[in-house]
Amino acid sequence: MSRSKALQSYIILRLLLAPLMLFTIITVVFLLLRATPGDPIDAILGPKASQEAKEIMREQLGLAGPIWLQYLNYLKQLLNFDLGTSITTRGETVWKIITDYFPATVELAVFSMLIALTVGIGIGMMSASKPNTGWDAGGRLFGIITYSVPAFWAGMILQLIFGVQLGWFPLGTRFPVTITPPPTITGLYTLDSLLSGNLTQFFTALHHLALPSITLGILISGIFERIVRVNLKQTLQADYVEAARARGIPEGRILVSHALKNALIPVITVLGLTLASLLGGAILTEVTFSWPGLANRLYEAISSRDYPTVQGIVVFFAAIVVIASILIDILNAYIDPRIRY
Amino acid sequence: MKPSKAKQKINLFRFSFLLLSICACILVVAGCQPKPASQTPQTATTQRLSIGTTLKLRTLDPADSYEQASATWINNLGDRLYTYQVGTTKIIPQLATELPKISKDGLTYTIPLRQNVIFHDGTEFNAKAMEFSLRRFMENQGNPAVLLTDIVASVQATAPYELTIKLKQPFSAFTALLTFNGMCAVSPKAYELGAGKFKPTSFVGTGPYQLTKYAPDSLKLDIFEKYWGEKPKNQGVDVQFYNSAGNLYNAFSTGGVDIAYQELDSQQIRTLEQQAKSKNWQVTSASGNYVTHWVLNISKAPLNNPEIRKALALIVDRELLAERVRFGQSEPLYSMIPSKFEASKPVFKERYSQNAEKAKQLLTKAGYSQQNPLKIEVWYPSPSPNRELLGNALKAIAQDKLNGILQLEINTVERPVAFANLRKGIYQTFLQDWYADFFDADNFVQPFLDCRQAVGNVCKNGASQNLGSFYYSQQMNQLIDRQRKELNPEKRNQILRQIDEIVAEDVPYIPLFQNKDHAFAQANIQGVVLDPTQQLPLWGIEKR
Repeated sequence: MSRSKALQSYIILRLLLAPLMLFTIITVVFLLLRATPGDPIDAILGPKASQEAKEIMREQLGLAGPIWLQYLNYLKQLLNFDLGTSITTRGETVWKIITDYFPATVELAVFSMLIALTVGIGIGMMSASKPNTGWDAGGRLFGIITYSVPAFWAGMILQLIFGVQLGWFPLGTRFPVTITPPPTITGLYTLDSLLSGNLTQFFTALHHLALPSITLGILISGIFERIVRVNLKQTLQADYVEAARARGIPEGRILVSHALKNALIPVITVLGLTLASLLGGAILTEVTFSWPGLANRLYEAISSRDYPTVQGIVVFFAAIVVIASILIDILNAYIDPRIRY
Repeated sequence: MKPSKAKQKINLFRFSFLLLSICACILVVAGCQPKPASQTPQTATTQRLSIGTTLKLRTLDPADSYEQASATWINNLGDRLYTYQVGTTKIIPQLATELPKISKDGLTYTIPLRQNVIFHDGTEFNAKAMEFSLRRFMENQGNPAVLLTDIVASVQATAPYELTIKLKQPFSAFTALLTFNGMCAVSPKAYELGAGKFKPTSFVGTGPYQLTKYAPDSLKLDIFEKYWGEKPKNQGVDVQFYNSAGNLYNAFSTGGVDIAYQELDSQQIRTLEQQAKSKNWQVTSASGNYVTHWVLNISKAPLNNPEIRKALALIVDRELLAERVRFGQSEPLYSMIPSKFEASKPVFKERYSQNAEKAKQLLTKAGYSQQNPLKIEVWYPSPSPNRELLGNALKAIAQDKLNGILQLEINTVERPVAFANLRKGIYQTFLQDWYADFFDADNFVQPFLDCRQAVGNVCKNGASQNLGSFYYSQQMNQLIDRQRKELNPEKRNQILRQIDEIVAEDVPYIPLFQNKDHAFAQANIQGVVLDPTQQLPLWGIEKR
């Protein structure tokens, strides 16, 4: 089978498997939520409500009846692309919640990823190009520390230093409540302010974005640092690099032009996987920085046992991760001819 | 000449690195900007207020709102038939023009309504609109619907500007109940009748402010130019929701918001109070209708023994707890009813002024000793730093004063789990915070003590079961009914004091604190008043 045909069938197989993966996630989330102690009705009504009031609400919200029936109803809803309605706000559809909150998460994720790549690749390169030196040890240490430090703790420390003590950055939230945000075009404040040509809004949005995205970006950068370091180190020992050296090409050019491009291929693979951990890290970062993103909303929904919202957001995140990993596989196959399926 | 493929790839990598570096530089530049906009106090020309809060808004639909988080905003966006005079507990007409005419049997309330009032969407307010609003409150079956459905038989517009409400049974606190935020007038054009038909992210009422933006982390309240009453002294209010007390504390202390309101931890409040003078901050506090109780589950041994419950009441040193746990931000509570009410009688002070010796005697008599200590679990819902401190302080007092005869074990449980388990009787004791729905003594008595179905003296279905005490007393039920029907305030107060006496004898609850509400304002803010009814009227606040 030719390479393009093999790739085609691989892509088709991945696309066919995607719904199955989503179905598994939907089922697991549905069951896990119901296995978690704590009743959403109690969470909404609190201790003041009578048993009768609770029963009425349970009926209204479709939480009465056996779990299998609730599950079937939920699947039926999903087939119609209906993620349901939040049971805590009672009236807000889960789609509306996703469209309201997701842009903030995307903006945070994009900037965090940019920072993670810049810092991670940079330190990885430095570490690999000066093996067995203090730079290398420092780079390795950086990778271990950033990978292991909890996001909420790092966020709090950065807030305390750069927000409270130095006053350089605003403390939490996405945009000052006293200033009108940019008009909604994409929902990403930085992009929207640029599109509408308002640089003040752009810098204000960026200013609010800086601390949370640095927190999240630095923490994720450890993954890239380690991958780049290991791969670059191996690549720098490859024959073609030695040949380049023999031709008298300067070391810096060898590093960037010859070795780095090959060392970066695994980074692309990891990008997809990192997306999942990025969303996980986003929950803690968004909560710490009062960032009004979908991850923060998910945390609230979990706390209040808002089943449809939790299910909807998790399925949405899962779909993104599945789609992203398929795209990255395709991209990987395209740019690296050595990959076979 | 066309560049080679390899060269193209190299250029791509160079371009990517350049882009990434630019992004990093932009972030650094952004960090080096002058003081951020959110941290710069607004100039005198922008008279909008910014308020920071941690109370997460679930809904702005009055028919479904039953929590403090929405009460403040609904109170400023909508008008009810009656309200409280700012800063007092005096009921005054708002959309009504006078206090209700009550029939002799106490069942029919006739209420004349204000004319020339319009809703934010331009709809005219009249008796039909008020009837719609109250019917919607009941029929849409929102969280607080039971407040009216239990009591009201019918609501009817009996003239264009006259509303008649018929009750199922006399209820002396009914006028006070009509001040509840959720019972505000809403536009019949903007809302629908029908179970579950709610609009959580919009609001169309008749209040001095109208909602112009509902965002995930903020609200914008603009002045309603056609408001029938006095215009607000500011040009609107911007509300910022923070995830944590720490964020709110930092935002206020760095000038990010004009006012910090609900909820900061005791420690943060103390720090802000201490720094207020040097930083020119204004501190406004008022003891409100928010109380804390120690709930004792009488359905299980050993707390089914009243002597044990009395022993627990005897170890509580409220003065000490108020000072150590709440740093003086709460007042000791010695009655089921807060001291703001005339009916309040400090029965727990009279009977149980902290007396460790007597507590020891009671416990020893019940068979407990240092070798065989009484172990009691104290639960509280997390996260609650205040109750964590309280639990630990109670534990320390018990250890210190009773020489190991009583051991308190402090446990925390997630809020949704706690509320589910309370009525199942899982917790021996529970530290319960309570916000009253409306400012009436009944709201501090009936939800705690009422129960109509019991086995022996243990409640099987009723209000006291929901709060986890399982208290049942036929005499108590009768007294609750009597005070609800009694229209003479003096006689009613006497009945309420009788109720307090019985509680002090039976001890299903140990009242601990009546909590103070705090608002912190920057130096250029004037007119912050906290109502005893736990409201923050925004229309009177101005910015210099």
